Formats: sequence, C-alpha cells, structure tokens
Amino acid sequence: MSWVHRLVVCSLALWMIDAAAQDRLSVNGDVDLRWVHATGETSYLNGGLGDLRFDPDHEGIQLGRAFLAPNFRVTDIVSLHAVFDAYGDHGRNPVDVSEFYLDVRPFPTTAVRWRVRVGAFFMPVSLENRGIGWTDVYAITPSAVNTWIGEEFRTIGAEFEARWLGASSGYLGDVALVAAAYGWNDPAGTLLAERGFALTDRPSTLFGGLGRPPIDFYHEIDRKPGYYGGLSWRHHDRLEVRALRYDNRGDPGSTTAAGVYAWRTRFSSLGARLEPSAHWTFIAQYLDGNTAVGADSSGYDQFYMNFHADFALASFEWAQERLTARYDDFHTHQLSGFFGPPSNDDGHSWTFAWSHDCGDHWQVVAEWIRLNSSFPPRLTLGESPVQVESQLQIAVRYRFHLGW
Amino acid sequence: MNHIKSLSPISSAGRSRAEINFALCRRVIATCITLISLAGSLSVAAADISVMVVDREGHGVGEVVVTAMPAAAGAGSSLIPKAAVMDQRNRAFVPGVLVVRVGASVEFPNNDWVSHEVYSFSPTKHFQLPLYKGEPHAPITFDRAGLVVLGCNIHDTMVGYVYVTDAPYFGKTEGEGALQLKGLPAGDYRITVWSPFIADAPASLTRTVHVDGNEPATMRVQLSLALRARPEPRPRRRDWDY
Repeated sequence: MSWVHRLVVCSLALWMIDAAAQDRLSVNGDVDLRWVHATGETSYLNGGLGDLRFDPDHEGIQLGRAFLAPNFRVTDIVSLHAVFDAYGDHGRNPVDVSEFYLDVRPFPTTAVRWRVRVGAFFMPVSLENRGIGWTDVYAITPSAVNTWIGEEFRTIGAEFEARWLGASSGYLGDVALVAAAYGWNDPAGTLLAERGFALTDRPSTLFGGLGRPPIDFYHEIDRKPGYYGGLSWRHHDRLEVRALRYDNRGDPGSTTAAGVYAWRTRFSSLGARLEPSAHWTFIAQYLDGNTAVGADSSGYDQFYMNFHADFALASFEWAQERLTARYDDFHTHQLSGFFGPPSNDDGHSWTFAWSHDCGDHWQVVAEWIRLNSSFPPRLTLGESPVQVESQLQIAVRYRFHLGW
Repeated sequence: MNHIKSLSPISSAGRSRAEINFALCRRVIATCITLISLAGSLSVAAADISVMVVDREGHGVGEVVVTAMPAAAGAGSSLIPKAAVMDQRNRAFVPGVLVVRVGASVEFPNNDWVSHEVYSFSPTKHFQLPLYKGEPHAPITFDRAGLVVLGCNIHDTMVGYVYVTDAPYFGKTEGEGALQLKGLPAGDYRITVWSPFIADAPASLTRTVHVDGNEPATMRVQLSLALRARPEPRPRRRDWDY
C-alpha cells in the first residue's frame, strides 16, 4: 500500500471517528452465513444457465452476504447513504458498492414535501426489499421480478419525488409522484436475454460485474439519459400501491470499442402490498416490457424480446416468527434476431420461508425454492431446455447498529 | 352575611381594654364562621362530569379528547397549563394524541434507536425539531388553541396529534371510552369531543352540560358514523422502506 493510500485510509478513518463522535454517523451491518443444498443445473453465477444462486457444485457452507451500510448526516436535511457488500463469489472485487447517494429531504412547510436523491440507488419498484441494504424481509430470495431489478438496474443519476402528506388534511396516507433521469445503465437487458428470469438474492454491485464471465451493467454507451416516472399511494399504513414506467432510452445500435452494446429496455411495473392486520402481509407485483439490441430497427436482424413476470406472496408474522409463501411466474419471448435457440423463458416457482428472530441481533431463516423452467438456449450447453431446480438454505444472520 | 355587617369599626379611642378584647373575640369568631360557610358552599358547588364515548355498535372508544369550557367568562382561567411529553418509540409518537392547555410546553424526547425529524406545518404551530441521540432540545410551547398534526421527515408513516385547547378542564377517554373530569365548579360547560379517528361532524360532538354542584353530571356520546381505520402498530424491526 503506497503512502497516498495510507493517507487516504487514515483520513477516512479519522473522519468517520469524528463523525461518529458527533452522532452524525450511524452504521448498520449484517453478516449472513448459510448452509445450502441445491439440485439441478449449474447456476448462471457459475457459468451455467440455472436460475438459482447455488447449485450442486456450490453448496454446503456459503457466505450469503456481508454488508456495511453507513449513513452520514451532513445537515438536518441532507444525508449520505452507502452500502458496501461482500458476497464471497466470483465478483471482481471482494468488497464492492451497491448504493451510494445523497438524500435531500427539506422539512415540509406545506402538505407537499419534495425529496431528491442523487447518486446510485435502487429504483422504487420492489415491495419485498424493504430492509436495510435492500434486503428482502419476507424470505431470503426475492421474486423473479425483484431479482431482475436488483441484477440489472441501478439509478445512477437524480430522482425527484413530490409527496402529498395526507395527515394534515385528516387522511392517513399519502400520494407521491417520482421521476428520475439517469445514465450508465445502457447494458440493462443483457442478462434477461442471455439467461431469462432467475430467483437469487445476489444483486449486482456497481463495479464488480455479475455472472461468469461477468457482465457489467453500468456503462454509458449512447450518451442518452434514461428516465422513469412513477406513482405511489399509501393508504392508512395498510396498503401501498406502486406503478412505474421505465425506459433507459438506449440506442440499440450503439456499442463501445470493447463490444459492449446498448440495449433499449422499457417496462411497466405495478405492485401492491396489503397489510390488513398486524400479522398478515400480501404482496403482488407485475412487470411487463421489452428489450432490443442491434442496429437494424426495421426488424429482422435486431434482437427483440418481450417479457413479463409476476408473483403473489402471503406472509404471516407473530411474535418472533414469520412464515412466507410465494408463487412466481415469468416469461420471455424472442421475436427477432435469432442466432441460435430462441430466448424463450417460461417458468414458475414456489418459495417457502420461515424466519425466527433471536433477540435484536440474531436471526435464523430457512427457505426452500422449487423452480421449473424451459429455456431453449440450454441446448447450446448440451442440456435439456426443461429443468427443475431446487434449493434449500438455512441462514444465520447477525446484524448490528452503531450510532444514532 | 349579617355577621359581617354586625362588626363595627373600632373608632372610639376611649374604649376600655375589656371592650377591645371583646370586640377582637367577636371579629375572630365572625371570620371563622365566614370561612367555614365559604368552605361549605365551595364543597357543594364543585362536581364531576362523567363522559362516555361509544361507537355505532355501543363499544367504548379510547384515546378520545374531551374538553370542558365553562360558559362563564374567565372561569378556570387561573389554572396553570401543565407541561407534557410527546415521546418517540418504535417509530411512533407516544402518545398518539396529546391534549394540552394553551401555553403548555411539550418536551419531545427521542427514546427510539433511530433518529427522527419531527415537524408541524399546521397553522396552529409551525416547528421543525431534528431529534438525534444525545441532542436534547428545549420544549416547544403551544401558544394558540387548535390542532397540531405532527410528522417525521424521515419516517412518513409516523403521525401524531397535539390538541391545544383553551378549556381549563380536559382529558382523554380510557380504553373503555370513559373519562371523569373532576372538581368542576357549578355552571354550564361546553363539552367537546375529538379524535382523529372519529368521522362524525364536529357540530354533533359538542354539547352543553350543566353542573349543579350536587351530583356528578353525565354525558354519553354515541357516534353515528363508523370510526376511521386506526392502523395497528406493526413491529417493523427490520424495515427501512426503499
């Protein structure tokens, strides 16, 4: 380590100690170790076309995830959030960043409160990943819809939200409009075309790539910013509905010198989470869109694919326990640009999870997934297109919180 | 008050010592009689008001604010507003509804494991209060009557209410819907009932009750509309809400 690096590290450490002493810094952290048993095809994370995170060659004791999520209060209305991740797999960096952004929230002086996020962060689609570090609080593995959101998308740009706060008018709820402009997300769509949908709790990080060989999703290729716009409605703290339209406005003809293509990916997302009592949660989400790559927009040679996915989840929580069941359904359908077996993914899966909290710091989660899918590109690996995969995981998690 | 009239001023310098002593004795006795009779009349004039708030089905409704405003101007105005506390625990305001007298100061401690940024943009009181661990703030004084809706700028699901009243007598119903306001002087009172979860028109929730000082007055309010949904508290141990 050069003296410059040492100076940077020491300065950073001193700054963090100073910030912590002033109660300006808080840190959440989590270490997740697992015992895994898997059947079926080699995971795409290990070079295959399997749709789960682990496979028979990668089971036993595994690192689920270790993360640190510091939160630094710059002023009363500006805070800096970051999530540093380690997954212990083939990621390029042993520790990487999955989110890093400034959150600006002025105090409301009228019933409309605005908020701006600037940096790199997850777009507001998932109704499952509501835990610190974008963790799924209902099971270990999020649905196919939200797995894909975590894998291929990060808003690297700015998001503006205007939220009408209903309480001052006697309505217990609020309505928010959200709009974002971003860049560096042109390869989004690559993984869905190459592999189809999957169910994993291995989102991409900003610099590490995903899969084997790793795909990097965070490039700006065509110099055209993308956008999303959405609406959310929260009613009585019991119902939350989110709708979002995403378009990365990628130019399918653009490519880098290294041969990385821009994909034109668009989708609409709709979801609802209902919590009718202190015990029950029901979630349903639907996502529908298309992606294209290749210069010929007139049709035949351009790779063009439609996709849609949905899931329904029911979860029951009591005392320190939670039980969750979820059914996923997902499809991709290639329409043009055939260079081999079509990227037609048809699958469904069942997920069952049980979690038990042992005090404030420890949690044990057991999860079983069974996934059936048909994906013709598996023929190129000499495998049957139809695969049945299953995965049993028992996770032991330790979480901590430092600072305010 | 004839005994007061019977007292004569000590005007004659030529009275004997015995006469002066006798006059003093009479004055002491008369004063005692006056105090006893005044005390007696006070104990007769103060009484309680029992208020019961029930929903459409007749079940008691808790956490309902009840205020009693004397019809007589100035009555009860000498009572000093009491300081109060609006705490934050498990990402909720505790209590959810606080009722205070105009002029009361309210402390906002933060006994949660996360920071909060409490605000109000209600016309009754504007304020912004960043509440971090180890940084106590001076209490907020509520100097106008009206409703103050509280929010947290970090946790949008947190909603609390401070009901600031001119009335000298007030309280909140217990879980069974009952409240007893104690020691009200005789007279007419305008009783007002309020809760964020009551949907009935405010006009139907205000009544005049007479306290005659002999026996407790009672008032029963049955709501005609269903209560607004009251969100059940959820533990939310790990929620961050992306």
